[in-house]
This record gives sequence, structure tokens and C-alpha cells, in this order.
Amino acid sequence: MGRRREDEEEEEEEGAYYSEEEEERRGGKGSRGGRGKRSRVESFIDDAASEDEEEEEEEDDDEDYDGGGGRGRASRRSFIDDARADNPDENVGRISRLHSNPMEEEDDTEKMAAYILRRYKEPSNFDYVDEELTEVEQQALLPSVNDPKLWMVKCAIGHERETAICLMQKFIDRPDLQIISVVALEHLKNYIYVEAEKEAHVKEACKGLRNIFTSAKITMVPTREMTDVLSVTSKSVDLSSDTWVRMKLGIYKGDLAKVVDVDDMRHKVIVKIIPRIDLQALSNKLNDLDVAKKKKSLVPPPRFFSVDEAREMDIRVERKRDRNSGEYFEVVGGLMFKDGFLHKTVSRKSISIQNVRPSLDELERFRGVGDDMNEDMASLFINRKKGHFMKGDAVVVVKGDLKNLLGHVEKVEDDTVHMRPKRPDLLSTLVFSEKDLCKHFNPGDHVKVVSGVREGATGMVVKLEGHVLIILSDTTKEHIRVFADHVVESSEITTGITRIGDYELHDLVLLGDLSFGIIVRVESEAFQVLKGVPEKLELVLVTLREIKCKIDRRTSAEDSKGNIVSTKDVVRVIDGKFKGKQGSVEHIHKGILFIHDRHYLEHSGFICAKARSCFLVGGSIGNSRGMGMDTADPRHGAFRSPARIFESPGRLPPRGPYANFGGRFGRGGRGGRGNDALVSKCIKIKSGPYKGYRGRVKEVNGALVRVELDSLMKIVAVKREDIADTDTVATPLRESRPSWGSETPMHPSRTPLRPIQTPMWEPGATPDGTQTPIHNQAWAPMSPPRDNQEDGNPGTWGTWGSSPAYQPGTPVVKPYEAPTPGSGWATIPGSGFGDTPGNAPTQPTAQPVTPIPTSYLPGTPGGQPMTPGNIGMDIMSPAIGDEGESNWLLPEVLVNVSRADGSTSGVVKEVLPAAGMK
Amino acid sequence: MFFHIVLERNMQLHPRHFGPHLRDKLVAKLMKDVEGTCSGRHGFVVAITGVEDIGKGLIREGTGFVTFPVKYQCVVFRPFKGEILEAVVTMVNKMGFFAEAGPVQIFVSNHLIPDDMEFQSGDVPNYTTSDGSVKIQKESEVRLKIIGTRVDATEIFCIGTIKDDFLGVISDPGAAV
Repeated sequence: MGRRREDEEEEEEEGAYYSEEEEERRGGKGSRGGRGKRSRVESFIDDAASEDEEEEEEEDDDEDYDGGGGRGRASRRSFIDDARADNPDENVGRISRLHSNPMEEEDDTEKMAAYILRRYKEPSNFDYVDEELTEVEQQALLPSVNDPKLWMVKCAIGHERETAICLMQKFIDRPDLQIISVVALEHLKNYIYVEAEKEAHVKEACKGLRNIFTSAKITMVPTREMTDVLSVTSKSVDLSSDTWVRMKLGIYKGDLAKVVDVDDMRHKVIVKIIPRIDLQALSNKLNDLDVAKKKKSLVPPPRFFSVDEAREMDIRVERKRDRNSGEYFEVVGGLMFKDGFLHKTVSRKSISIQNVRPSLDELERFRGVGDDMNEDMASLFINRKKGHFMKGDAVVVVKGDLKNLLGHVEKVEDDTVHMRPKRPDLLSTLVFSEKDLCKHFNPGDHVKVVSGVREGATGMVVKLEGHVLIILSDTTKEHIRVFADHVVESSEITTGITRIGDYELHDLVLLGDLSFGIIVRVESEAFQVLKGVPEKLELVLVTLREIKCKIDRRTSAEDSKGNIVSTKDVVRVIDGKFKGKQGSVEHIHKGILFIHDRHYLEHSGFICAKARSCFLVGGSIGNSRGMGMDTADPRHGAFRSPARIFESPGRLPPRGPYANFGGRFGRGGRGGRGNDALVSKCIKIKSGPYKGYRGRVKEVNGALVRVELDSLMKIVAVKREDIADTDTVATPLRESRPSWGSETPMHPSRTPLRPIQTPMWEPGATPDGTQTPIHNQAWAPMSPPRDNQEDGNPGTWGTWGSSPAYQPGTPVVKPYEAPTPGSGWATIPGSGFGDTPGNAPTQPTAQPVTPIPTSYLPGTPGGQPMTPGNIGMDIMSPAIGDEGESNWLLPEVLVNVSRADGSTSGVVKEVLPAAGMK
Repeated sequence: MFFHIVLERNMQLHPRHFGPHLRDKLVAKLMKDVEGTCSGRHGFVVAITGVEDIGKGLIREGTGFVTFPVKYQCVVFRPFKGEILEAVVTMVNKMGFFAEAGPVQIFVSNHLIPDDMEFQSGDVPNYTTSDGSVKIQKESEVRLKIIGTRVDATEIFCIGTIKDDFLGVISDPGAAV
């Protein structure tokens, strides 16, 4: 039979029926035609036959391009069927004949219709026949390594079809070409596929073609991917009126629209949409006013069209009747409006049908006055996820005679739902289509939103409005409106989405305009940010783009009382609009605190206030800080208070020096104790890598000081010179240092004293290091020694007080006298002290008064530095302070008088102004 | 609703409390630990009324703590759906008002406030009927019906309604002044 002839006839017929869109097919056909020739020439070899079938498939695929993949598949099956058939060619021939015969009597339209009917029925027939086909058989038909290969050939862009046709023509002209088919795909630009056994064949075929560059690379399509090249994945969705769609292009991009009418023939759809029209611009345009071209980016907001408004703008509004529907439209400059909506004819391709998911707001806008929202709702159910209903769900019927019937889901099968009605008189389960049902909730149910804008949020149902639920969100305590359909019952508690991109709820962010704020709410595509403006609740809605960065620095600020406030501390607002509010600090930036008050409901409980108008409540930081203060202050006291103590007796002149001496002396008592005075001091580092940091001295280690940084929770070693006291105390300390220098030689010599001093000085010195617990320990041992002393046990009270301690010291003091001149000692003004130490050992017993007070006095202040420290520590100090002083200075106290030559005990009779005793 | 029930709890006691007053310590600790807590099943433990039984203590290895199983009677308060409660209004905003009935916080949404009551913002935000005869503001006492409860680990949150017969304000602080 004349296979080729028929093919060509078919081609003709197709040319008549189909637009140039189908040209590509022709390409395929061309090759087929060519092959037909080849078949003639080479006779029917097996593989050529099977190739033929494959082409048949291609052809069908192309034909069904718009129709859907189903048919393509069907035709493939037909091919399979053919393959199984004894004489496939006969089969194909028959089809072709069916096609071509009616075409010969072209004038008869009826026949043509019949022909079309038959033609399009065929695949389904095949479908029917093929049902018994198994998967394995299908698999066997996939191209294998033995089949000809597909080669991808690069050609001039936009000339894919042309190239294919050229190749076809070439094949017809030159039967020696060994290519089998050529395919140009609609969606693939710049390439065509050529089917051939060898690359050389392809090259040969392409040689001399204008649209194929000789240099172009020819790539082989891997066998496995060959099927993908020609498989068509088309999603055919039936578009019917009243479907919600979204616009894909133009200024309406993303807008919701409702299909009004579908024109299947022209692939056009009339949609109803809320117009985005700038009336002013429109009127200008209509009146031919010369307007500067507007920026394209300025999309007018969607607004309903109002005839009155338009008239005011001098826009001519015509009222026309649509020819087809008979409805009246307001027509302005070619735009048709009805009830404020714009009726727009759009190409089917420019709307998206899938995944429309209109939000509640959008739907509400569409709802005209008196419209029943619930009816709109029904059309939404198309977009439902699979497995929407679950057994046990409470449902309500929304369509049909049984509308509003409540019940529970018993069973779900694909699209049908078995429901047990709630009514006692209806006992049997009823079967509904999934689309006829909607979920039902009762007020008070705890639910979770599973889709839509508010996806993820949970809350309790407060009210039902048809199929819209009002939910009180668990976390934000706000009302949320959602479709009943988007909700499931759940006991879970969540906020919904909490992050977009890098930003999370409650993050502190820097905004584009350099302002900052805290994210208080995350919406679908924007954040609600509470700006860092104290006293004002400034809320802004920002998109991801507008956020510059997250502020993640750990800073601290000072509250109204100068306490350091860091994040997570609890503060109370004591001033301003939010006075009385209390909460934990979540973020600090530029002295502004973002406080989370869980009793405050707006802005998810966040308020922002100046650190200065807050007060730190309790909090761990507060305490330790307080400690720092306590310890720091008494230390100044350590230097000041001896003076105070002396003041009370009313002795003026030697005070300062004594005090100083006392302090210094105390220090002298233990090597490097002066350094210790620095310990636990709050200092500021004034140079070096840690410049600007504040911290507390932990330890002094020669020229290095180990500082615990307040801000970093880290101990670092810094040079002594690099630190500055935050308190002014630093200065006197340093002043005293020179005198120390002179003292230094003394230390080694005094070392022997140490064992004896230790019980007293050691603990005594440590408290100067200032930590409370140490103080306690330090002072505790004090009392027994004192008791001892009262018992007449010498040598416990200080170096100067105790003769045994002093005695070994005596020789030391003497040599010490030598360096005295010019040393700090000598510089001490107005004190008889310079000579006292010298005198003390040499003083005769006959004058016990003089040495004693002198020796005591320095001793006392030696102990004194600690006393005020204790005063600072509420618990111990009063007692000890008393002890320290009154023990010594009160009359009627038994004392040991220690001198170089021995000790005597006596009772203090009177405290003399000269601090002497009798 | 209040219940008087017997509950059981394992108490851990530090060894320093071992001594003649062990039992007292245990009861004191129990009260401290349990009173004011909330469980989804039983609601808030309002008060412990008595200790029924203290079982044998078990010394924990390593810590020296002793675990006693303690059975105690207590009064619990658990709100139920549909229950009518009297509560004190603690906050009023445009979305509704919050009220407290003891430890339970109840929110009455504006959807569940009779339609004739409207929100009045201002210094003292309140809901007032159109004729101004009834006003709900802070400190008002209302009778409400619970329509939903949500139980957290630490609190029970309820949604109530006053949109029903015999519900609403029972005493008005504004009126008393």
C-alpha cells in the first residue's frame, strides 16, 4: 500500500486544519515521510517498523499538545498495541485511511465533523484495548542501547522549526541520508533533536544547512532521557466560571480574579477583577492631555470603579450592552466595568488556576453587598489538599438538599466522605462528595490553622461566621479570621510562623532608615516592628528587604540608679508612659531597653523604654553589682575611715598621715599588699587591646593585673599601667607608692616577723582584698586573739602592739632608720611618727605612755582599714568596729602594754586626748 | 469547680532536714511545692488540707536526697466548659476583656459580649450598653460562662461569654463610688 502517499495526504490535511503551530510536527512528519521512502527502498526491516511506530507516537503527542498528556499516553499505548499486533503497518494504514478519506470530499462539513469525532475517539478505543497491558511490557518498549540515538543539535535561535523542515526536505531529496527523524520542540529554543544511529549521520544531514552551524556541537541524549524529551506534561485544568484565579502578568499580577466566562475556542477567559486604575491618569489620557510618562513601578491600588467618581473626573462613561451575555457594562476607554469590577478578557495563559488560595481579605473585597460568602466558599474547596477530612472530623454539608446538616466523618474514600449525621432520626451514614462538605467547629474548640496566611497559628474558636471562624490566638491574644476549612482541631499551642529569612520573632533589627526595633509579629511576608522610640509605640510594617541586619550585640545600659542592666534582667519602668510596667529586658540598644512584660498584651508584650527611666529589679546582676559597690566603697573607706576614727578623739594634725600610714602600713605588713588594694576594684582599662573595658581586678601579679571584664565574662591580664580606677581612689594610691619604694627593703628583713603576724595580718590583709566571705573568715579569727590579748597574751595584736613581734623587728627598724631620710616616712608632715618607731625600742619603761600609744596607734589604723570594710558589710562590722576601737580605747579595760623590754598588763583608766592611757 | 481530692506526690527532701522535724519539713515543702500549681487533669491546687500518708523514704544514691511518697488531701479548682463563674475584670481592650476567677484567667471576646455593648476607649476603657446603664470596666465583677479552656503546664486559660441569659455584670465599681 502506498504508505508514503497516505502520510503526505495526512500531512496536507493537517496543514489545512492546524495553524503553523503544528509545523514542528511537520518536521517530524517530514522525516517520517522520508523514512517512508526509505522503507520503500530498504523494505520493512524490523527496527524501522518499530521506529515508525514511535513516530506515530510523536505525532500524536504533538497533536495533543493542548489536549493533555492522557492522549499522548494513549497513543503510545496504541503503538504498543501495534507492536503486539501481527501486522502493525496494516493497522497504521487503516488509521490513515480513515483520516484521509473524508478529507477527499472536503466540502462536506458534516462528514468532516464525523471524521473529527472518529479521529478523536480512536485513542480512547485503543485505551480500552490496552487495558490489559502490563507495566513490564511497557518497559520493554522504552528505547534501549540498540535503538537509534537522539542527538541534540544546536541551531539558530527561532529557526528550530525551519531547520527541522529543511532537514525533512533534505531527506526527501537525498534518500541516502541516514537520519531517522527530526524533532523541534515548542518549548526548547536553540536546539533540535535528530534521531540517527551515529553522530556522523547527523553531521552528514546537517551539513550545509544555513541554520545549523558546522561548528555546533552535537550531543547525544542519554538513552534513559530519551523518553523525557518527548513526553508532554500538561496540566489540564478545567476552567469554569466562578473559579478563583490569579493573574500572572501586568499590573494585576498576583491579584485575585474570578472567572466570568471562558472562551475555549480562543483560549480566552473573561475575568472579574478589582480594577487598579488611576482615574486621573485615565482622564488625562482620554482628554489627550500631555502627561509626562508615569513611572511604571507605580501601580495604583485596587479600588472599585465608581461611575460617579469617573464622571467627576470628566471621564465619559458609556453604558453598553454586551452582545453575548446581554448584560450592561460601563465602558470607559475600552475598559468594561460592572458593579465596580473590571471585566477583563485575558489569555488563558496569563492566569494561574492552581494554588490560588484566596485569602479571607481578598474574598471579602470581592463579596458584593448581600452576597453570600459561603457560596463563594464552595468554589474554594477545589484547592483542598488531599486527605482534607479525617475520621472523626465534625463536618457540615454545604451543598444540596441536606445543606447545614451536621455530622461526623466516618470514613473517607478518595473523593467521597461517609458521614454520620448528628441528628438522632438519621441513623445511617450518608455519603457525600468531599466538595459538598465543610469542616465545622464550635466556639471554644482549640484549633490549629493548617493553611492560608495564618498557617501554623493556634487558638480557640470564639465565634463562627458561616464558614469563617474567629479564633483567639494563643500567643498574641488577637482575633484571627480564618476559613473553617483551613483549620484542624488540635491541642497544640504555637504562634504560627516565627521567622522569615534570617529574622525571627523578637529579634532586634536595624532598619533601612537606621532606626531599629524589635520584631513583634511575623506576617506572611512582612514583619511588624516595634521601633526603638521610647515613650512612643511606633509600629511599622517592614518587608524583608527593608531590614538591614539583625542587631545581635550584647550590650548593657545603666538604669536610673546607675546599675548595669543587661539582657534578661528584670527591670521596672519607673518613669514615662509605661510607668509601673515590669519585665525582662530582651534587647538593649543605644540605651534603649526592649522590655517584655507578659502582662502587657499589645505588641506581643513588648514595650520600649529608656534605660534611664527604668530600675533594675533584684536580678543577679544587681546583686553582684551591689557587692562590687560595697567592696569598692569600703575600700575608700579603708583609707578614709581611719581618719574618721581618729577624728573622733579630736586629734587633728597627724590624722591624714596616720591614716595614710595606717593604710600603707597595713599594706606594708604583707608583701605586695598595696597591690591587693587594687584587687576587686572596679577599673577601666585605658589602653591596650581591651581599651575602654571596665572590669574588676581579680589578682595583681607583678606588673600584670588580671581583670574580670564586666562585659565579656572573661578574665584578662592587662598591664598595670593600662588600667585606671573608675573611682578616684586610684590617685592617692599611686601617690603613696613612692613611699613604698622606700619601704621595700624593709620587707625582706621583716619576713621573720611574718610567722608571728600571720594569724592576724594574713586574714587581716585578705579582707582588704574585700570579698565578704573572706571578711567573715578574716575577722572571725580576730576575736580569739583579742581575747587572748586581754588575757595578757602578747603578740597577737599587730606588729607594733606585740612585743615579741616587735622585738625581732627592732634590729630591722634600726637599719631602716638609715634610709628614712628622704624616704616617704620623712615626708609625712606633722607627725611625730618619724621618730616614734625609732624611739619605741629605745624608750625607757619609765615612760610607757609614749611608746604605747604610738605603737598602738599605727597598729590600730593598721587594723582599721579592715574595719570600715566591715562597716560596709552590715553584719560583722558594728561588732568588730566596736571591738577594734572600744576594746582599746575604752576605760577600764585591761590591756597589755607592750614594749621593747617586755610587757606589763594594766587597766585603761582613761582615754587621753593624746591617745595615751594610764 | 472545686474538688476536694487526694493526690500523691513524691517529695525529695534534702538530708539536712533529717531530724525530729522531718515530717514538718516535708509538709512545709509539700505546701510550698504544690499549692498554686496547675495540672491539666486536676486544675489548680488551691490548698492542702491534710496529709494522709507519708510512705517510706528512699535514699537517692549519690545525692543523699530522700524521696517520700506523700498522699495528701487538697482542694483543687478546675474550670469546665459550660461552667458559670464569677470573675473580676482585670483588663479591658477593644478585643474584649480579661477577667480572673482566682488563678484562672478568662478572656471574653468582644464577639461574646452582647451586641448592644460597645467598646469605649479612653482613660478607663470599658464596654457600655447604648443606654449607659451597664458598664464593664476594670474591677467590675461579671458572671460568665466558660466556653473553652486551654490548659498549659502552668496555667489554665479560658474563653468565656457573657452573651447569654443571666450573665454579665454583677457589681460595678463605678456604680459603688
